[in-house]
Amino acid sequence: MPSDDSNKMPTHAQERLKGLRTSQHSSGVFTSDFTVNEFLLVRKAGFEPVGLCVGTCVYHVGIQYGNWSKNQEMDVLSKAMYHARELAMSRMRAEATAMGADGIVGVKLTIKRLEWDEHLLEFIAIGTGVVHGDGHKGFRAHDGGPFTSDLTGQDFWSLLHSGYRPVEMVMGSCVYHVAHRGVLSALARAGQNVELVNFTSAMYEAREIAVERMQYEAAAAKAEGVVGVDIHEGSHGWQTHVIEFFAIGTAVLPLDQEIAPEKIADPIMVLSVND
Amino acid sequence: MGLFDVFRNRDPGVEAQRAASAQRQAEIVDSLSSGAVPASIRTRLEATRCGAAPWIATLTPAELLITRSHGIKPIASVSATCWLHYGWSWTLGHSQGWETALQRLREEARAAGANAVLDVKMRTIPLGIESSMDFTLVGTAVKIDGLSPSSDPIIATIPALEFVKLLEADVVPTGIAVGAHYEWMNDWRGGARQTWMGNVESLQLSNLWELVRQHAHAQLRQSAQSQGNGVLAHVNFSQMFEREGSNDVKQYLARHIVIATTIDAQRGVPIPHDIKMVVDMHAGQTPLTGARGHHQSYPSNDRDGAI
Repeated sequence: MPSDDSNKMPTHAQERLKGLRTSQHSSGVFTSDFTVNEFLLVRKAGFEPVGLCVGTCVYHVGIQYGNWSKNQEMDVLSKAMYHARELAMSRMRAEATAMGADGIVGVKLTIKRLEWDEHLLEFIAIGTGVVHGDGHKGFRAHDGGPFTSDLTGQDFWSLLHSGYRPVEMVMGSCVYHVAHRGVLSALARAGQNVELVNFTSAMYEAREIAVERMQYEAAAAKAEGVVGVDIHEGSHGWQTHVIEFFAIGTAVLPLDQEIAPEKIADPIMVLSVND
Repeated sequence: MGLFDVFRNRDPGVEAQRAASAQRQAEIVDSLSSGAVPASIRTRLEATRCGAAPWIATLTPAELLITRSHGIKPIASVSATCWLHYGWSWTLGHSQGWETALQRLREEARAAGANAVLDVKMRTIPLGIESSMDFTLVGTAVKIDGLSPSSDPIIATIPALEFVKLLEADVVPTGIAVGAHYEWMNDWRGGARQTWMGNVESLQLSNLWELVRQHAHAQLRQSAQSQGNGVLAHVNFSQMFEREGSNDVKQYLARHIVIATTIDAQRGVPIPHDIKMVVDMHAGQTPLTGARGHHQSYPSNDRDGAI
């Protein structure tokens, strides 16, 4: 847990959170962004919400231009995306630690562009801090701090019942510049259906970098695997031909003491009558 | 471990990095052209396969639960891309592009020691580079307990829940079939322009559509035949354009693409389960139906289900 000044909690926030942890928040109210079903299932899983945890970071992203005719990682931009997300996430986690949470479920990580400056990005991480009802500390992350997870309350319940517990929200990012085609090579291909191997290899390299970074984070968190992985692409107002490959998921560990695999119930086939 | 630590151990020499990147790309191009899995990906898949690195799954926890109870273990996320420039036919490029990507995905699955790839999503990256498009597949390679790694792993363009539902009903999803066709029609006599008429069918255009669709579906059947005995179609994409030809003759282009999950099913065998009716605790969209968007390459079909 980084403990420099940027991660210190404001005094009034600490006071607000103080009452929540004591004897099942008898002296305070809890806050959460749970839906009714999420609330019921998180409690059914043996956890109680203590409060919403928020971390934000407004970041000025440096300028980097890709070489017109080259496939290359834009490392200045990759680093910016990493650093800003890291700051937002660690601030959220600091809030959770201060309220004594064992973990944060339903973390939503969003990025917004601020309209008056194209280089400013706002990163927001928000989730609900939860504590184990019986004070079980085995659910914490490998460093003793709260676990983080982008899973919803329902997914959290399902994960515990499939014999795993969340450890850390892991991600990998690679901002990449895809080379432009020369006019001559474009003309030579007119009239044919052919693969553009340069573009294909750019996609392969960029995606591989993102996935490897995510896997590296999961290994560092001593996880067994990563669930709910989403690999997608996005652009945050960069030049055309610049794209971010982003992999995100929740690193998990088996719950061997709490639920042995043989105790996991077989799901039954049902038809949902909701819609 | 901080997110930023990834960069701390990196070689500060930017030039060296660039050179390594160029070398990696050359290797990727070489490998792909010879039908092999690029070396860096192969290394990751092999490390993940033997448990030296964490497994990676696009599955949700509910899917993890159901796969676990059915003896299916996730290995790694696998992906494949083919970026195609379409010179003479956009439409036919689609079958060529998806087929190539499919072949590459199968190679990655083999390198991961998988029996199947589940949850295969069809993606197109919105870079908007002229007259070209990428055909990308991303999925989760899995191993099934008691089976040795397959030489020809199953590619299932359906989420894990649906995969298990099908297996329970003794149906095996086997792959993807693509049918694509287009036709140009010159309207020499202006028959498609019916400005002054009342309620009549535009026969010429109807016939054009019939022709295009029949051909596309015939191709789908042909493409499915080698893989299974049925298909569940999940993309039916069609477009029609009008343009001004020479001498004031209108030209019409109709194109149709259909993409389906092929299955191998025993006919006439009843489903071995009772089905219970329940209230689902999920807020909003229920994962029970598995109805998540499984492709974003054909926007007009976005609201259709996974199959």
